[in-house]
Amino acid sequence: MVSLARKNLLEDIPRFLVAQAGILFAVTLVTIQLGIFSGFSKSTVKLIENSNADIWVASDTLVQLELTLPVPVSELIKARKMPEVARGDGLIFSGAHWFPKEGELVRVRIIGFNPQSSLYQPETVLEGSVSNLTEPYTAMIDIFDQNTLQVEGIGDQLQMSSLPVEVVGMTEGNTSMISNPFVLMSLKNANAYLRAGQTSQINCQLPEKGSQLECINMFHPEPDDQATTIEPNIEPRNLAASDVVTFILIKAESGQDLSALKDKLEQKLNNVKAYTKEELINITETYWQQRTGIGLVLGLGTVVGIVVGTVVVSQILYSSVSDHLKEFGTLKAMGASAGMIYRIIIEQAVWMAIFGYLPAMLLSFGVAYWINSSQGTLLLITPTSAIAIFVITMAMCIGSAIFAIQKVNRVDPAIVFKA
Amino acid sequence: MASPSVTVQAEQITMFFKSGQQEIPILKNINWKATRGTIQLLMGPSGSGKTTFISILAGLLTPTQGQVYLLGQEITHLSRQKRTAFRREHIGFIFQNFNLFPALTAAENIEIILNMKGVKKEQARYQAQELLQQVGLHLYANQKPKDLSGGQKQRVAIARALAGSPCLIMADEPTAALDSQSGYQVTELLKHLAKEKGCTVLIVTHDPRIQDVADHITYLEDGRLILPN
Ligand SMILES: Nc1ncnc2c1ncn2[C@@H]1O[C@H](COP(=O)(O)OP(=O)(O)OP(=O)(O)O)[C@@H](O)[C@H]1O
Ligand SMILES: [Mg+2]
Repeated sequence: MVSLARKNLLEDIPRFLVAQAGILFAVTLVTIQLGIFSGFSKSTVKLIENSNADIWVASDTLVQLELTLPVPVSELIKARKMPEVARGDGLIFSGAHWFPKEGELVRVRIIGFNPQSSLYQPETVLEGSVSNLTEPYTAMIDIFDQNTLQVEGIGDQLQMSSLPVEVVGMTEGNTSMISNPFVLMSLKNANAYLRAGQTSQINCQLPEKGSQLECINMFHPEPDDQATTIEPNIEPRNLAASDVVTFILIKAESGQDLSALKDKLEQKLNNVKAYTKEELINITETYWQQRTGIGLVLGLGTVVGIVVGTVVVSQILYSSVSDHLKEFGTLKAMGASAGMIYRIIIEQAVWMAIFGYLPAMLLSFGVAYWINSSQGTLLLITPTSAIAIFVITMAMCIGSAIFAIQKVNRVDPAIVFKA
Repeated sequence: MASPSVTVQAEQITMFFKSGQQEIPILKNINWKATRGTIQLLMGPSGSGKTTFISILAGLLTPTQGQVYLLGQEITHLSRQKRTAFRREHIGFIFQNFNLFPALTAAENIEIILNMKGVKKEQARYQAQELLQQVGLHLYANQKPKDLSGGQKQRVAIARALAGSPCLIMADEPTAALDSQSGYQVTELLKHLAKEKGCTVLIVTHDPRIQDVADHITYLEDGRLILPN
């Protein structure tokens, strides 16, 4: 088929390029806005995504991943005894202070996990090995936090809370846009830092009508005369029932109904709520999206991009059609139906969409690569968002054809015989 | 109703154009017909209503009063879609300024019309070449209109008008933009091809030099037909 649309579009190359540049920037703007939104959302839940657990058990006070109370290890022990549970591990996710060699104190987030378990493993270990974390007072940090934490490299000795810490590994991608730098370590070590400078006391009582013992964990600052030293002479000990973790990660036996298991965990364990991985991701993402209003801000940027794109395409299609009005009149006189005429204009819009989308994606991937290699994953373009943006671009261009179509509709074919 | 040998018949055509409050009569009760396979010339002074008349005959304008029968079909009462479809199937057009599509090559200018008439890709390409051959421009198939002379452009336009073998060809001042020699050649070519294919051709012209190609000449003056003596 002879494509008048394509030929007319390519007939005036400079104008075509100007039009495409307009679409290119509009689509790039939309892509970057959506990319930052995905990157932000994803970064708030990366920790959850890196886990291999089916179910996350947390205190029933949980608001989101970073806002929850601890759960006693006694509950983890109970969970492990359940026949439906293949594996259960604690995860400590808690704040601490990091003392760089010089300069200001930094707030960090300890991620304490079982290095021997697959339920949580950090993303991309660049240097060192997770198995090194079993050594006392060792930690891994993320390469993007290296400057903030003033770590020169592996083997650096620094201080966290009131204890020494040795950096034994470097990861990539274990950061969150809304959180403090992550410090990865074994549960045992994490527990030691958590308790440094504090004593804990667990109070248990049997409620009047209940058959279950209810325990409350209380923390007190240690008396001054017992203040811990920078040089600990004891190795971190294994977690005891009276210690606390932030989450209990559960791997179900194969073939288990997860929602039934969730219910059962909530029944058997005290004061907890169980979430599937997806549920916790949802809660946390939604919390941050609403809390920061990022959806609104970036949504506004997206709308601006779409409006600019629509205006550019409308304008170009309209002026292109106006320039070729006589040709459309000729076609109409020769018997082209309204459908045939619309098809030509819409085809022109589709070509503009395709030739705008492809370079815009290239540009966006370039920008994403550039930003992400210096800032961590800030801008995320997923296949789904790439497809969504293609659909938006198409809709934008085809929607823009309306004015051009109206213009052609008004052309009287009788003009052809007027000189 | 018209007899089968009559391809075009206009009955009591009256046309008013609105100008402000006034309605100005442009065509006044015209009766006219053309028999199959003839070359008809419509002549007359400027402003006499020739273009208005041919536009009505081609179904591009609807007369204030009167009927037009093309191939036995009354067209003034057809819906806009049906009239468009009728033009697509039965009428070829030739214009004073050629009205070729500047972005398309000579061959593509013909192909697009064949495509519109339902002839598909390869077949359309083949027929376009054949038509260009008939107007003597097969060597110019890949030239764009801007690289062709006026006479060549009008020959491409003739090939395009003949695409899909319509029974009627309507041309308004086809030689006005051409020098006298190419004007004559183009008209000769049109006559030759039309006769060969059995088309009825209606040409509006000012050009006295092409009078001798006509089978019949009609004069229009001040919106009325003047009978030739
Ligand atoms: N759409 C219109 N509205 C109002 N008046 C019109 C319209 N079209 C044509 N006229 C008038 O109708 C008259 C006849 O016009 P038409 O174009 O049919 O003449 P013509 O014989 O083709 O002239 P020419 O030889 O100059 O092409 C003219 O006076 C013109 O001004
Ligand atoms: Mg005229």
